[in-house]
Amino acid sequence: MALIEASHGSKVSQDNHQVRTAWSMTAPALALMFLILLVPIVVAGVLSFSNYSLGNTGFDWVGSQNYERLFSRSTYEKMFIATFTYVVTVVPISVGLGLGAALLVHSLGRVGDIYKTIYFLPVMATLLAMAIAWEFMLHPTIGMVNRTLEIACGTWLETIPFFLQGCEGSFPLWLGDRDYAIWVVCFIGIWQGFGFNMVLFLAGLTSVHRELYNAAEMDGARSGWEQFRLVTWPALGPTTVFVVTISCIRAFQVFDTIEAFWPQGGGPSKSAYVMMFAIFEKGIQQNLIGVGSAITMLFLLFVMFLTLIQRWLIERKVHYG
Amino acid sequence: MTKNWWKHLILIVGTIVVLAPFYMMVSYSFKSPGEIDRGEGGFFGRQEMMVDPRCVALRQPNRADIEAARTRFTGQADTEIQAALLAEAEADCSMRPVVFNYSKAFTEAPLILYLLNGVIVTVSIFLIQTLVALPAAYALAKLKFWGREAVFGLVLFCLLIPVHAIALPLYIVLAKFGLTNTYAALIVPWTISVFGIFLMRQFFMTVPDDLIDAARMDGMTEFAIVWRVMLPTAVPALLAFAIFSVVAHWNDYFWPRIVVTGNRELFTPPLGLREFKGDGDGSFFGPMMATATIIVTPLIVAFLLAQRRFIEGITLSGMK
Repeated sequence: MALIEASHGSKVSQDNHQVRTAWSMTAPALALMFLILLVPIVVAGVLSFSNYSLGNTGFDWVGSQNYERLFSRSTYEKMFIATFTYVVTVVPISVGLGLGAALLVHSLGRVGDIYKTIYFLPVMATLLAMAIAWEFMLHPTIGMVNRTLEIACGTWLETIPFFLQGCEGSFPLWLGDRDYAIWVVCFIGIWQGFGFNMVLFLAGLTSVHRELYNAAEMDGARSGWEQFRLVTWPALGPTTVFVVTISCIRAFQVFDTIEAFWPQGGGPSKSAYVMMFAIFEKGIQQNLIGVGSAITMLFLLFVMFLTLIQRWLIERKVHYG
Repeated sequence: MTKNWWKHLILIVGTIVVLAPFYMMVSYSFKSPGEIDRGEGGFFGRQEMMVDPRCVALRQPNRADIEAARTRFTGQADTEIQAALLAEAEADCSMRPVVFNYSKAFTEAPLILYLLNGVIVTVSIFLIQTLVALPAAYALAKLKFWGREAVFGLVLFCLLIPVHAIALPLYIVLAKFGLTNTYAALIVPWTISVFGIFLMRQFFMTVPDDLIDAARMDGMTEFAIVWRVMLPTAVPALLAFAIFSVVAHWNDYFWPRIVVTGNRELFTPPLGLREFKGDGDGSFFGPMMATATIIVTPLIVAFLLAQRRFIEGITLSGMK
């Protein structure tokens, strides 16, 4: 009896010891999580109701004034329009192109790997450097894009209004033109991101069982489209949900291209004034921390909302595989 | 091949669009300013000798130079000596465009220092992330303790927060402590990788308990188990995480742009390139593209050498 108690006691002390070790192992991570991730959110939340700025000793509470400003000033209206235009354009196109490229590359087998490598290059390259390269490409007079377009002058392509206008006058200024600016940024976002999506889809495709295709064929799904609709697409469900979410989150965070092209002001007549740039400009450059914090809070709300939808979708619905 | 020609056609069109800026970046880094302006010279440019105007301007002979050179050009008039000296300077300052571009990339700005900063920052971030994440991941995967579920729940919650999104409050806190414009500012916000914890925890779950029990029998402490038993088994996962982390932070522009203002000593490669662009006048496209090429090359080369690992590492976030 005593023996059992003794061994029981040593078990408890061993458990206690393990608990203490476990806590000392998680403590640094926990502390950093609080200090670096959670405290800043609280700080931003609190400051978004103030007119605080760095260097000032005091500040006043301004209630919801910062938020009201976000929804009433035309600058911020432009900010929301630019951000949503970017997200709504880049996400579907880069996901669609990623899926299309993945299907093509996958169907080519080993030969397709070379395309996979090439399409993945923009994901690896420093976006800022590539933004500067694109800026040169799009230079109105000496850029490669307009020079290539000029080749079309004098050919049948001139019947297209775009070329006619370009050949008679000049081709677009691209980055300097408010009608084109945001679309150029979108294009670069797609250029950079679709390879990433392609690779995720490829991973999804390799996990689709061959038997499923055979079964579908026996059920009469012979054409490529039918097989895609009945087998591939449902099997890619979880991948698609994930790819869409991560593309959204990345699209919301667009900054490098905007700052590289237009260090001041976010594009011609603020047509590319996205949220991250607004946080940078208002909060850090102009030291208007109240407004910057309010944008930060809205931003976090969007991103968290998106991720929660994703988790909910994955847990609830997408269980085909 | 013949049946699939249309697939190749589509993919090749895509390839052209994807590679165009890379082509232009590397090509411009080879060409002389004149060739860039006129858009000629093919990919490599003609590589004719060119004269660096700034170099010549610096060696513009003055009165003293002419006096000093009088011994070499005996019996000649001052203007002749001046012309001769100028010709010498031009000869010394002429070089192939590719040499001009790449040497300017290193001499116009302390590019070596920037690259070194990039290495210091990315490596320290990765090491600290590992140091913090591995024990936590081990505890969450293999140790039973009260509150474990709560801690893991917190990890899952923190996965929702993109660090870039909370840049402003982080910046305020760092500024309050006077830490902006330090290495600490570049590194500290990234020391915690909840994603790393999550990833390593998932991996450690698959390690058999027997291995750990055996190590305990041998009298190893729990911390020793983490570093001497778990770490070696986790090398593939850790390598993937390393690639994920290094690529993200080598390429990051947003965060360094915020916390490093003006202090060139701390510039990371993207900041250095940005500065180059800021004070560039038209003639410096070549050196700037050389800088861009130098910054982009290390990761691209590493990627081409170890493609499978890189794709695994970068798409790791797919495991969330």
